[in-house]
Amino acid sequence: MNPEPVQESKRGGLLGWMDQRYGVRGLFEFLSHKTVPVGPHSMIWYYLGGTTLFFFIVQILSGLLLLLYYQPGEDTSYETIRFITTKVPFGWLMRSVHCWSAHLMIISLIVHMFSTMMLKAYRPPRELTWVSGFVLFALALAFGFSGYLLPWNELAFFATVVGTESVKATPVLGHWLLEIMRGGTDVTIHTLYRFFALHVVALPMIVFAFIGLHLVVIQRQGMATPMRKAKRLGAMPFFPNFLLRDLILWLLCLVGLLSLAVFWPYGSGIPGLEWELGQKANPLMPAYPGIKPEWYFLWIYQLLKEFPPHFFGLEGPQAAILLVGFLLIIWALVPWLDRKARHDERSPAFSDLGISAIVFIAYLTLKAWDIGGGGHGSVLPDPGAVARVCAYWMLGLAGIIFGLRFFLYGHRWYWLSGAAMLQVVLHGVVGLSYINAGFIALGLLAAGVALSIMRGGSAARGSEVRP
Amino acid sequence: MSEQSEGARGSRRRFIDGLLGIGLLGWMGSAIYPVVRYLKPLPLAGPGGPIRLSEEQRTTIDRERFIIVSQGSERVMVFKDVSEKLYAVDARCTHEGCTVQFLPGESMIWCACHNGRFDLDGRVISGPPPRPLPRYAVHFDEGGDVLVDAENA
Repeated sequence: MNPEPVQESKRGGLLGWMDQRYGVRGLFEFLSHKTVPVGPHSMIWYYLGGTTLFFFIVQILSGLLLLLYYQPGEDTSYETIRFITTKVPFGWLMRSVHCWSAHLMIISLIVHMFSTMMLKAYRPPRELTWVSGFVLFALALAFGFSGYLLPWNELAFFATVVGTESVKATPVLGHWLLEIMRGGTDVTIHTLYRFFALHVVALPMIVFAFIGLHLVVIQRQGMATPMRKAKRLGAMPFFPNFLLRDLILWLLCLVGLLSLAVFWPYGSGIPGLEWELGQKANPLMPAYPGIKPEWYFLWIYQLLKEFPPHFFGLEGPQAAILLVGFLLIIWALVPWLDRKARHDERSPAFSDLGISAIVFIAYLTLKAWDIGGGGHGSVLPDPGAVARVCAYWMLGLAGIIFGLRFFLYGHRWYWLSGAAMLQVVLHGVVGLSYINAGFIALGLLAAGVALSIMRGGSAARGSEVRP
Repeated sequence: MSEQSEGARGSRRRFIDGLLGIGLLGWMGSAIYPVVRYLKPLPLAGPGGPIRLSEEQRTTIDRERFIIVSQGSERVMVFKDVSEKLYAVDARCTHEGCTVQFLPGESMIWCACHNGRFDLDGRVISGPPPRPLPRYAVHFDEGGDVLVDAENA
């Protein structure tokens, strides 16, 4: 930056010395001009990327500490985790912090992603911020999945069997990928070796690269502002005003994290959010009743249960995984699909897409928890009752969400989320199968949108009454 | 410099670029191929032939009504119905590969992962599994030992 070296510097000391050699003043200049938009919009969404980063830093540090005692191996993986939690002073705390922080990081990341979706912060010129964020989301899931196997307990074993088996759905390369991931045809200790390398070396390096990219593009472009409000906005200096607020929030996150870790060292007791070590993995034991993956994979787990054995010439599980892949690709491409937001116009269809994603995932997740099924011990829950009770929960939830959207945000476009709710009602209340209910809802959605286009109605324009 | 020699220079450059491109591809291939082969696991060389159940394993079947045994990369469930007849099926669910179990009370094979249900011959009764569980033949040899034959289903 400063081609002529060792010249006058107004400051002495270390800073002056650094500036003479590396021109660091430019960086301070940049920081002092960096601002965060302030306006009538809620500021809270600007902090969520920071909290996600905070939990990731905690993951690196607590993971490093766990590595000091953990040894991957047939006779050591399970045993060293047990040793850490029972013998090493505060070992239980380190594992508890690592587990809680992982879940909080995913929660923070998901809320961050949905807020970006609802505020349309992905619109040009920020497409790559969205895509790099999406890649980080996928990497966080890969982190969770690979870390899950490392204690080598029963739950880990079957979660990995199912999770890796679903890779088979990949066209052409499926079986080859499956073997590469497992280090054999079956899940064995060789799978754990591969996941260990992934979890502690490969994924952190890739994540660092993408966090770097994500942050660089944000620094180059500044924070996104709500649509069509640019003129009324003020600015808050990033340094020190916003940074200090960030740090207070990080401190609160740390207090929250440690409280959870101390009082619930083995998790919340909700299936998918608990980490009792349980029994050591034994490939010769059957999967136990009530086995479930982590909460953020529950919707995929439930979808695998809902699909019939065969589906349009594909095997059911392959169709289910391909559907998940298709939906995720749509999600990643939203900045290009949302043509209206590209021109800074309201795009209510994409607000509704975000809500319908919540409806779709929430219903499957509730069902995966077998809420209202009356199953306990060896008695299996009744799927019909689960579908019905979860549908009632969804009706209550949708009442709140749709009410807020209608009265508070003035939303008038409900085609997608309406179809998603129709599927819930047809399946849970009327009693059709999940797949048939989905087809009917999609059919009515297509017919409704087509009719609306012919009449030049609101579905075609995607217009929305302003609040 | 004449136009003709300009054109010749251009085509020479394209030719050299093409050669360089081929060289680059070859170089990439020779770097990636060993890594891919390294990642591909070696085939598991297990003992072939039928599985012979030990005394202990037969006691387990009498007590639990079923047992899961392995040989090489195979996992086989051997179980006994109410009429004391022995069956053997592949223990890996055809849905997502979880290990199934035998429910003697309901005379049914069940996978706890996604609620797949099979009859004693491995045929799907309900749930998402797309294919029946492969069956294995159960023999008794002269000494009364139980042999499970993966080849001879």
